[in-house]
Amino acid sequence: MKNLKKRILLLLSLLLVLSVSLLASDREIRVESSIQLAIDQSEPGDVIIIPAGVYEESGITIETARIILRGEDGAVIDGMKGGAHIIVIKADSVQVEGLTIRNTGLSHVRDLSAVRVESASGVIIRDNVFEDSMFSVYLSRAKDSLVERNRISGGGDRESNSGNGIHLFDTERITVRENQIHHHRDGIYLEFAKEVRITDNIATDNRRYGLHYMFSRDSEYSRNEFRRNNAGVAVMYSQEVDMSGNIFADNVGPASYGILLKDIDNSLISNNRFLNNTIGIYSEGSNGVQIEKNLFERNGWAVKIWANSTRNVFTDNAFIDNTFDVATNSRQHYNTFERNYWSRYDGYDLEGDGIGDVPHRPVRLYSIIVERNPISLILHRSLFIDVLDLAERVMPALTPETLVDEYPLMKSPLP
Amino acid sequence: MKTRVNLILTLAFALTTLMACEPGPKDIMIGQDECAHCRMIISDKPFGSQMVSTTGKTWFFDSVECLAAYELTGGLEQDRIHSRWVPDFESPDTWVNAHEAHYLYSDQLRSPMGLNLSAYENRRHAEANQNSYGGEIKAWLGVMQLVNEAWLDGRETIPAAN
Repeated sequence: MKNLKKRILLLLSLLLVLSVSLLASDREIRVESSIQLAIDQSEPGDVIIIPAGVYEESGITIETARIILRGEDGAVIDGMKGGAHIIVIKADSVQVEGLTIRNTGLSHVRDLSAVRVESASGVIIRDNVFEDSMFSVYLSRAKDSLVERNRISGGGDRESNSGNGIHLFDTERITVRENQIHHHRDGIYLEFAKEVRITDNIATDNRRYGLHYMFSRDSEYSRNEFRRNNAGVAVMYSQEVDMSGNIFADNVGPASYGILLKDIDNSLISNNRFLNNTIGIYSEGSNGVQIEKNLFERNGWAVKIWANSTRNVFTDNAFIDNTFDVATNSRQHYNTFERNYWSRYDGYDLEGDGIGDVPHRPVRLYSIIVERNPISLILHRSLFIDVLDLAERVMPALTPETLVDEYPLMKSPLP
Repeated sequence: MKTRVNLILTLAFALTTLMACEPGPKDIMIGQDECAHCRMIISDKPFGSQMVSTTGKTWFFDSVECLAAYELTGGLEQDRIHSRWVPDFESPDTWVNAHEAHYLYSDQLRSPMGLNLSAYENRRHAEANQNSYGGEIKAWLGVMQLVNEAWLDGRETIPAAN
């Protein structure tokens, strides 16, 4: 009797183990011809292996949770420019990896995407190659997801129709890291995003912005590289953005900026390098931004800050060989410049404490003349301008009187 | 004979000059021109709008909502505004006077600044898209009210139509 009980118990536990292992079984399904067919046959936890080959499919919809779509070397999904999304993920904890996904085609009413996530969480998109799609990765109302190590190249040859590389709309807690994005409209775009971390990405040669922030808060982007994007990086209508350790380089053009700050509050810009941009930082209507330990080198304008920007603090930055270090549009201003290094500073340090004894006025009279009359740029490097600048420094009449660094550093504070 | 040719030439010249004097919409350089209100590069042709002053100067905007916000915040004084122009969503090369256009306010047709307004010359086109995508049809005054409430907490007074 006791024995029987034991046996039943054993049987039960065996059954339990079996059912658990069945539930958790990483059942592998190899795609024969249709990826959608394999997905339709899958159960949560399955791994769908896509062997090498070109699969001409689009509108692939994933509604099974916890499945992994894994491409073997040479697996390509080609949307054939059919004007549809290629993969749509509507279930939680789905992974898409190792695939090449290309050719969504274009539309002016629909945001066609190579991979689109709709209202799902725990999604991982990694190690894929995206080519010639309107949008490559599009997360709409996604949460707790990861986009990493993808190589993304946009296709849309018509500017007006091309979309973004990685597009986040109304998302929370997303990590975007180590991706390479080029030739899209915006490399990475965020709209209504919360607690998003964007790190170690490289965005180059995008048609508009390398990174574009809209109406977002409590987010971070750091250690990214933004080069040769048509208009640089735009951070607009957002709060609490942490921007650290990035490189902004070679963003050159009439409306091109390292960073365009428009209506940004309570944010941090630290340890970035701004190299050879038309304008390093352009700030309009931004308040309470701390700008510290940044390098501004060889820019046309290192900083353009409009009078409607207030309570911003510039400290421990190095301004080296910029045509204009600081420009503004008013004699009134409510920002602080303190303890920065200015290669243009020609004061002295008799006390030897590393801080210049004479305050430095970074706004040149010439920059104000240029602001009012752009054509006067042709006078750049003329003796006449040098004399004007000198006279203005001695007796400021047009430059903002209070925009002054009282403690200019004699040496760059940056390593 | 010679005087008559001269007269015709002068008239023709005067006529073309007069015609050229009437301020109107200009082409936006997509991907190059900046929005005068939000500073964003304009890259969506079906939304790029503009305002023309009485002296013929133009201000470009990336969206209908930025055009309205620029007017509401006094970007250009009322008596200096000659006209406002919006692109027909169905054929974006056509400029429509903002006062004569029909607007669809629909979440499913996302605009660059998130207020999701598209403009139409023909009301039937607006209604067709309303059937497909949902939303609400508005006139210019309704657009101004929407932008005022959504972006400016309703604190601006809406200028009378001109």
